[in-house]
Amino acid sequence: MKPERIIIDSHLSSFFSLKDVIKYKTLLNNLARRDFLVRYKQAFAGIIWAIIKPLINVLVFGYISSKISNSENTTTNFVYVASAMLLWQLFSNVFNEVSNSIINNANLFSKVYFPKIIIPISTLLVCLVDFFISLSILIVLFILSGQSIHWHLLLAPLFIILTLINGFGIGLYFATINVKYRDVKFIVPVIIQFGMYATPVIFSTRFYLDRIPEWLHWIFCLNPMVGAIDGFKYALFGGDAIYNFNYFMLSLLVSFVFLFIGVKYFYKFERNFVDYI
Amino acid sequence: MSNQTIIKVEGLSKHYLLNKNPMQKNDTLYGNFINGLKNIKQLTQKKQTEDFWALKDVSFEIEKGDRVGIIGRNGAGKSTLLKILSRITPPTKGRIEYSGRMASLLEVGTGFHGDLSGRENIYLNGSILGMNKHEIDRKFDEIVAFAEVEKFLDTPVKRYSSGMYVRLAFAVAANLESDILIVDEVLAVGDAAFQKKCIGKMNDVSKNDGRTVLFVSHQLNTLQALCNKGLVLNKGEISLNISTSELAIKHYMLLANQTARTSIVDRLDRDGEGKIKVADIKFSNSAKQQIEELITGQELNIHISYQCITSFIGHKISVAVAFYGDDGVLYTVVNSENTGVVYDNIKGSGEIVCFINKLPLMEGNYFINVSITENGIAQDWVQEATSINVIAGDFYGTGKINPSSHKSILIDNTWLKQ
Repeated sequence: MKPERIIIDSHLSSFFSLKDVIKYKTLLNNLARRDFLVRYKQAFAGIIWAIIKPLINVLVFGYISSKISNSENTTTNFVYVASAMLLWQLFSNVFNEVSNSIINNANLFSKVYFPKIIIPISTLLVCLVDFFISLSILIVLFILSGQSIHWHLLLAPLFIILTLINGFGIGLYFATINVKYRDVKFIVPVIIQFGMYATPVIFSTRFYLDRIPEWLHWIFCLNPMVGAIDGFKYALFGGDAIYNFNYFMLSLLVSFVFLFIGVKYFYKFERNFVDYI
Repeated sequence: MSNQTIIKVEGLSKHYLLNKNPMQKNDTLYGNFINGLKNIKQLTQKKQTEDFWALKDVSFEIEKGDRVGIIGRNGAGKSTLLKILSRITPPTKGRIEYSGRMASLLEVGTGFHGDLSGRENIYLNGSILGMNKHEIDRKFDEIVAFAEVEKFLDTPVKRYSSGMYVRLAFAVAANLESDILIVDEVLAVGDAAFQKKCIGKMNDVSKNDGRTVLFVSHQLNTLQALCNKGLVLNKGEISLNISTSELAIKHYMLLANQTARTSIVDRLDRDGEGKIKVADIKFSNSAKQQIEELITGQELNIHISYQCITSFIGHKISVAVAFYGDDGVLYTVVNSENTGVVYDNIKGSGEIVCFINKLPLMEGNYFINVSITENGIAQDWVQEATSINVIAGDFYGTGKINPSSHKSILIDNTWLKQ
């Protein structure tokens, strides 16, 4: 086999390459494994915490909203909110963890070369594991509350992927800024906290749009999580979760624009991370 | 690139922008708050920066199978060069071309996690260094045997002794298969026996497997044992391009001799926090007269004057002086802390004196490294702060002198009569 020839040049820029990611899949696995194993080490209840945290959130918000909305079917409403909450939690988790992933692993790439994109991707994998634990709770709730099984359900994975795209794209952008300005660490939780109230988590899109002036409608739908959550609700419960199809498409478009910008921005500065960290 | 050349570096430069008015380091809560406000206020103003070239137009070629020692003082650009070669940071100008798989050990145990077991860490660290699962599986037993940690494989490494930790970390790295190996002073860890084992292993991989090795170390004798070629860097530029290691060490010593003549306080090639700095080193004899040459076996006072920007009252400050021969061998170190003396009232500027009853160094030229440590943190470290000549003297008081071919440390000894 002819040895690989490598050229390091001052003006070479890097791009996303799936080949690189596959080449480093052992590292990807091991980093994800490490993050997952380490989190619950020396915790008495261990991995049970991965269930308790989302469960409490779902219970509290589900209860509050079912009280507020006065709807006839409390159980359905509860599952409705729980599903939106689940997706929002996936988003906020991915967003927060990815935006801190680069600085948290600075000790690695300042000593050894590997494609830096491996770090946020492994973070994403860890968030997914947590998500699947919460998802199983939702599935139980879904069945217990006697929801009907539709072909729509097949669409659900698409909106889970869309949520990942949202969290990852925006997270990558903030991860890049975080290298130079640690202020990001404080800004991200604020965005997440307020973002939840600008997203149809507790209330539906209709609830919001009915209450804000018409010219604000499209701005509301610039939030990429509006599309993901409404789509997910549609997949699970059918009905009129998607309030306006054009707005839904707008939200979808924004998701991909964010992913593009996030990846682009990340690769623009990736090579120089070590000099700023 | 000719057939023999494995690494080709052309016009490599690395530029950094340094802040001219660095942020006042103030660790108090109030100071932090004020600094934050100042930063926000200055958001629109252009920062005053200063250019700094860590590497300037460096070009060289390394042939397959060469073991190259990179020599240079603190701040000469050695680490920057290794970082660019190992693709950790990009060059500002120039290019590098190499063929084959490169493994760089700029640190042992990168990514080790204290909460994970030895076994888990082998896989983690191995994959960070670029091995795939299959490779690690294949090397696993070898790694464990080399590190001598068989019994503790499932113990979290935070419970390991520091020796075990370093052994395991080195073992993973040493078993990495590569065509080019880059090593940065990782051998400066562990106990003497382990260091010897590491050097043996390095010798093994470089000499027997014909791998190309780039090696940076401050210990010139280790370097001499390992490398057949040398490259000398000075202030970011090549001072002596690839040549034999003997020639490189000689050249480096010559260079050190020149810089040792400039005043210590103005030197920029120093390490440490810098809150206390060594300003000067002087020597005096038993009659308290300043001397320019030392005499073997005579009484000696080393006067180290210091300057500091803040006062250190109640801190534990220690001073160490190391004597290197012009062959690069470390002859001895005197450290105030080891004699039970720490200074706890240091402010402004002043002088610390070390008294040596009988100078045990033999005739020859010596370089002196000096360092100041505050509560275990290196505040200043100047290599080759000065050089000094030692004249042969009567150590034993018998008029007999050890031959200079037996250059070593002299010790008092008594022979019992039959």
